[in-house]
Amino acid sequence: MEEQQLVARVRAGDARAERALYDEHVDRVYRLAYRMAGDDDLAREFAQETFIRVFDRIGQFRGEAALGTWIRSIATSVVLNGLRKVKRFRQREVGLEIARSAGGGQRQAEPDLKEKLGRAIDALPNKYRMVFVMHDVEGYTHQEISQQLGMQLGTSKAQLSRARARLRESLAEFAGEWAS
Amino acid sequence: MTEERFQEFLRAEARDYNEPPATPTDEMWRGIEAERAAREGRRWPQRWHHRAVRSPWVRWSVGIAAALVVGIGIGRFSGQGMPSGTQMAADSAEQAAESAPSPYRWVAAEHLGQVEIFLTGFQVDARAGIPLQSTTAPAQQLLSTTRLLLDSPASEDVQMRALLEDVELVLAQIAQLEGDEGEGEEEELDLIDDNIDQRSVLLRLQTAMTAEAGVAGGQGAL
Repeated sequence: MEEQQLVARVRAGDARAERALYDEHVDRVYRLAYRMAGDDDLAREFAQETFIRVFDRIGQFRGEAALGTWIRSIATSVVLNGLRKVKRFRQREVGLEIARSAGGGQRQAEPDLKEKLGRAIDALPNKYRMVFVMHDVEGYTHQEISQQLGMQLGTSKAQLSRARARLRESLAEFAGEWAS
Repeated sequence: MTEERFQEFLRAEARDYNEPPATPTDEMWRGIEAERAAREGRRWPQRWHHRAVRSPWVRWSVGIAAALVVGIGIGRFSGQGMPSGTQMAADSAEQAAESAPSPYRWVAAEHLGQVEIFLTGFQVDARAGIPLQSTTAPAQQLLSTTRLLLDSPASEDVQMRALLEDVELVLAQIAQLEGDEGEGEEEELDLIDDNIDQRSVLLRLQTAMTAEAGVAGGQGAL
């Protein structure tokens, strides 16, 4: 089904069309929500809220961008705003990670690096983290990121660059891993 | 060269970061259907639904306040001639609510005028790094009125509803500023500032006012 046709049917309240739209886009929305939340319940909550808003606001979709871009721009907004509310949850999670690593036996280079990288990514400001996750983890282009986050292309590149610089600082002790 | 290697290294190592499981497609769909049905079932208090922390008495008091807002609107505008002074500027924002019943349009127009003044000041201060300690109370007041309007016939107009929803989001963020830990304050301010720009909130408020000035006065006086 053509995108325009699908949107028209969703606007008309066609339940099958709603499900078709959902099936088409849910995977990328959930993946991004999970990458950012690091928690299944939160990721589900963010993804569900995204589609509730999509169906609620489908009348406002003017087709200037692709439907997927519009949906994911709603998703990023839901995720970023949602994460602000669960800051405490994330801090608790990081605390548990630290406790777990402190209690572990012999250190192995690989897991230690992964853990450190994970914590360094967690510690990034959410806007930088979103750009980093979208680009370096999920493989979005800067064009897609800028459209979905409503920012200039240059801003997306600058934020990715700052995110990487912070990660590089945090991982300085592992410099040998990429210098060799 | 080292930078390129670092980027490659990062991409390879970060691949496992919060690796998502298989998407629970059907489960989430059932959740969406249930939630939408629940929201549809109580259409009037829909705006409050996801703010589950609000207790029933808050809903009652908000309902009463809504009645007061409308009553004030009717009392203020229905028996009088042209509004004066600052009301003139605010009145022009009513364009977006053209299809709504008249008293609600007046209230919405005045409210949007106040929001525009507040957000303009907020953005200037935030960008200049001026402390924003006194912004919470007015943001909360404006937020309350915005939510009342969202549940009134003023929001039956699609454009007005979209504008009010975006205004609500931005005001809610500002209203929460002082409650947050200092560490994230700068990020919060950036996010709010971006939201105002991305959603073109000020531009849309100003456009609504300019359009109304043309309709009301036929001279584009604003």
